[in-house]
Amino acid sequence: MGKPKIATVWLEGCSGCHMSFLDLDEALVDILSKIELCDTPITDFKDFNFPDVDVGIIEGSIANEEELKIARKLRAHCKVLVAWGDCAVFGGINTLRNTVPKEAILRRGFIETESTVGGVIPVDPELPLLLEKAVPVNYHVAVDAYVPGCPPSPEAIAYNLTEILEGRIPVLPSDMMHYD
Amino acid sequence: METNVEKVKITIDGKEVLVDPGISILEAARQNGIHIPTLCHHPALSSWGGCRICVVEVDGSPKLAASCVTPVRVGVVVVTSNERIIESRRTILEFLFAERNHNCMICAQSGDCELQKLAYELQVDHLTVPALFDEFPTDITSAYLAIDHNRCILCGRCVRACQEISGARVLNFNNRGPHNLIGLDLSETREASTCLNCGVCMQVCPTGAIYDRYRTHYAVKGHDTAWQTTESLCPQCGLMCPAIFSVHDNTVLKIDGKLEADDSRPDRGQLCYKGRFEVLKTIGKRLTRPMLRNGDGTLAEESWEKALDLTADRLRAATRAKKGAAIAGLASSMHSNEALVFFRDLMGRGLGAGCIDTLDGAHFRIVHRAWAGLDMPLKEASWKMIPEADHILIVGADPYQTQPIVSSLIRRTIFENRTKVSVIGQQADLFPFAAHHLPLKEGDASLLIKALLDEATDCGTDDVKMAQAAELVRKLCLSETDAAVFHDIARTVSEASNPLFITVAGLITAADDSGFNSLVHLSRLKGLLPGSTLRLIILKPFGNSSGAWKLGLASEAEPGSKGQATACVLFLAGEQVSDPDLLERLTGLDFLVVISPYIPESLADMADVLIPCPLWIEEDGTYTSLDGTETGYKKKVIEPPSGVRDSWQILSALAERTGFRPGFDTWNDVCKAAQKEMGG
Repeated sequence: MGKPKIATVWLEGCSGCHMSFLDLDEALVDILSKIELCDTPITDFKDFNFPDVDVGIIEGSIANEEELKIARKLRAHCKVLVAWGDCAVFGGINTLRNTVPKEAILRRGFIETESTVGGVIPVDPELPLLLEKAVPVNYHVAVDAYVPGCPPSPEAIAYNLTEILEGRIPVLPSDMMHYD
Repeated sequence: METNVEKVKITIDGKEVLVDPGISILEAARQNGIHIPTLCHHPALSSWGGCRICVVEVDGSPKLAASCVTPVRVGVVVVTSNERIIESRRTILEFLFAERNHNCMICAQSGDCELQKLAYELQVDHLTVPALFDEFPTDITSAYLAIDHNRCILCGRCVRACQEISGARVLNFNNRGPHNLIGLDLSETREASTCLNCGVCMQVCPTGAIYDRYRTHYAVKGHDTAWQTTESLCPQCGLMCPAIFSVHDNTVLKIDGKLEADDSRPDRGQLCYKGRFEVLKTIGKRLTRPMLRNGDGTLAEESWEKALDLTADRLRAATRAKKGAAIAGLASSMHSNEALVFFRDLMGRGLGAGCIDTLDGAHFRIVHRAWAGLDMPLKEASWKMIPEADHILIVGADPYQTQPIVSSLIRRTIFENRTKVSVIGQQADLFPFAAHHLPLKEGDASLLIKALLDEATDCGTDDVKMAQAAELVRKLCLSETDAAVFHDIARTVSEASNPLFITVAGLITAADDSGFNSLVHLSRLKGLLPGSTLRLIILKPFGNSSGAWKLGLASEAEPGSKGQATACVLFLAGEQVSDPDLLERLTGLDFLVVISPYIPESLADMADVLIPCPLWIEEDGTYTSLDGTETGYKKKVIEPPSGVRDSWQILSALAERTGFRPGFDTWNDVCKAAQKEMGG
């Protein structure tokens, strides 16, 4: 039997959770020796192919159609799905726009900005459409384990991963929990 | 003392314990070291039972009970934690997070938030219910406090604190159901409301819903685990309120009151808008290096040695040139007793100053003269007696401006004890609650108090005196309404069996003693309180006025009566000098040295030497209470800016250079001397 395969994606987030993962420093060597890291933004994969993996990890909330598609695809191709960080877990800072209608947000961003002259709301079919609200991952797909934090500490990420690799679905201990 | 009350035997988590009857299950558990999480409960407030976080299983009942409002009873079996209870608590937390927009990563309260701590404790690692994502209003109209309803969990602590501790009764619940919001008055903004900015709501708020707008310290805040807290007292007004300072990186992050669950202080350990916010206001540029006036008339930074040498030389020269009245020493009554004792001895015994006075000397002289007219030595009443009075007459004083906690205590006394309060003079915050309100006009004060004295003491007993009193009232030309109020106040004063009078020395202006004597006389006639104490509370303008007056810093004679000084040492404690009389006295001196934490803007053209000293928060020292009977120790909370020396070091250096041996070799010696003189 080969090593457990892990894929990670970065949706509506800032990459801070992935940075925190890299921040494991020398402990990362140990973890990487136990896993096979498949598609991940860390290796700069542009094309997400999603072979079947054991653990799928999502950073960021779901705020547009592309992100929703990726989340669904990853869910379908992984055994255990983990939400990394406040955005994936609670929606995070992206939810600040939820109190304002989508149209108003787009207008403010692309037309009414003080420095914008003759702005238009982009409608290119290549661009993913904004969803009405930015929401946590578990609004659309089932999530098995959560690591809150903005970003989660490297210790919390390592704890979660180690537990999963040993066949347990962990709940983060109180002393590793933080929302900021 | 052994109580005869029979204890109640109960079982908590399988442990049999004996507790006092009537206490709540929560209290019983805490007394026995069993932790039950709470959210809407606060030890200094009444129990409300609103949040249901503290639920426990009582006698195996299927319905969980809120332990903070469930009293113990004989033989009750309580389970404080099992899967069902934890699930229930976690669900409540999830609903709280889902209802409003709690974004810890952008909340300034993060790290110091009870909701957050509780969610960590109960391991809420995600929400199983969808969040509402509704927008709630934010009120940032006040310069002191902001309310962000997005972070409010409607625990009602602020509403209870506003009523039970501050007595302001401004906060309440507005609307119902999902539209329920904490409101001020009838849905006013913070600024437009009758809020008194005491900030007790902010202190008890378990989340970041009510937060400080006064300072922008959040950049240096860090996590609360890295903070140091210092328990000290607030020296601002003589009430010596206990205060807890949270400090990080030599910056004061917040000042909390020591909210008391018991009644060890009648104000229950609150702070006021001054003690919580305004004390940290900077009122100018800090002076961090001594400054000397150059030949071209400008002030320039100079070394400590040179500044001290020059000051000592000039003061000695002034003494030599004109014996006796050459030097004047003027100190702020905000300084600690230690600094004042040292300053007094240096100026008096050391330099032979002709006049030593305080910034509030005018107040002292009024009180001193009135006291000299008394038949026996008497003490002033303590503000702590307010709740026991059956009538409170406030004349000329505005406690909300000078001693805000006194005004809070009066408000609470009105509500809790139905005490009648009469106000003569301006008092906006008590206006809606006082039984009587009479304006006090300049020129009339003396006549008004005299008329009150006559009418209140001779009411109905002496026809001739009553006629005289009526004549005085006629002279006041009161309107019909005001006259009726006046007569009612006089009747209330005459009928009261345990009245208290609250006043200031200068009823209308600082030097005006009209009426003060009459009021002292009136309170004397109402009989003494135990311990030869007059029924009179005198509000004083500075934090350590009582201490300064008792130590003889304030001059009994009018300043200048012994001849004009040619040199003056002004020892400020963090105030700017704006009194025109004082500014006039300081002009035309040959030499003026100002020891001050700030650059004294109004004296920038007059001072020859500026010497930096620490602010109250940067030095240790004792302070004396408003009535002069208690002494409290104020601890150093933060370090002074680099380059600033302690008052002790400055005064020692000047003593050494002027050849004066004060008898204090160490800081401890000064402390002992001050303590001895204060009779402690």
